[in-house]
Amino acid sequence: MTKFWCTLILGSFAYGLMQGRVDLISNTIVTVGEETLEFVLPMVAVTCFFSGIVEIAKEGGCIAFLERCLSPFLRFLLPDIKDDHETLGYVAANIIINMFGLGSAATPVGLKAIAGMQKHNPEPNRATRSMVTFLVLNTGGVTLFPTSIIALRVAYGSLDATSFIPFAVIATLSASCIGLIVDRLWNHAH
Amino acid sequence: MLTNYVLPVFIGIILVVALIKRVDAYSSFIKGTKEGLSLFHEVFPAMMAMMLSINLLRVSGLLEAIASLFSGLLANVDASLWAMMLFRPFSGTASLAIMIDIFKTLGVDSFSGIMASIIQGSTDTTLYVITLYFGSVGVKKIRNSMFIGLISDLAGIAMAIFLTITFFS
Repeated sequence: MTKFWCTLILGSFAYGLMQGRVDLISNTIVTVGEETLEFVLPMVAVTCFFSGIVEIAKEGGCIAFLERCLSPFLRFLLPDIKDDHETLGYVAANIIINMFGLGSAATPVGLKAIAGMQKHNPEPNRATRSMVTFLVLNTGGVTLFPTSIIALRVAYGSLDATSFIPFAVIATLSASCIGLIVDRLWNHAH
Repeated sequence: MLTNYVLPVFIGIILVVALIKRVDAYSSFIKGTKEGLSLFHEVFPAMMAMMLSINLLRVSGLLEAIASLFSGLLANVDASLWAMMLFRPFSGTASLAIMIDIFKTLGVDSFSGIMASIIQGSTDTTLYVITLYFGSVGVKKIRNSMFIGLISDLAGIAMAIFLTITFFS
């Protein structure tokens, strides 16, 4: 992460200076704190709300139910934590909520899932295999109903706001499949 | 819109189940919400680091310069689409902004408008997901997750281009 981060910043500095954009760069540095706050605060607020809902779902047994539905798939996907039903339940809920395009509701369950994986982590500042697999699944973002894009298309006067969906679904499925295959071959070789 | 039913139905089911199982739903809600609050403390530093590098990448013009190297590679694909693809894994708001711009200038139902919609839906913002999730548990050595995430984005975007060219041109 350190190398990636420093390279991005130094590369941008170098290119920006060459292009004479030093004012913009300096301005960005000054305002980044405020911008992060504006970005993180609403995100945390929405996550808090859905955290509350998820807690009710957990107490009512809804999460455990989803875990049982997806159990064989989850045990194959995350063999290292196959006996931790609570964490697997959160993973299951995260996958299913993401499919409905409710990214903000999927986040709190995803965070609970990764916190559950961290409990089994012998080296707390290093990612485990399960975490990498779970994140690859999330960055692929399997969404069957991309609600925000549909809403935008309608807002901009599309006559056919939904016809792109099957193609987006195929694209997102292939992204996740390739990601999971690469992860499996690379990280689970032994 | 049918999609507006999703959330009320979801939450409705959860509350009905809670009532049937005699769960103290109100207390659970308060407890869960309180847990969510600690997220700010965990995630804010990592988000700030990410925001700095991504904003610099954008305002310096570096990402656009890289995108312009690709333009002309495929005849039908507009330069703005290449920029959008490059932004997609790093900044959801930036790629969304380009998509909206494409809707306005080239038309929401045009070839470019449809390709933009499929690209936006094909993957999530990898850098954001990794920052948020690893940041929340304090993991700093992220192993090959970023690299694999980007490979998966590449696969999704390539599939999006292929499908749009095959079915919409």
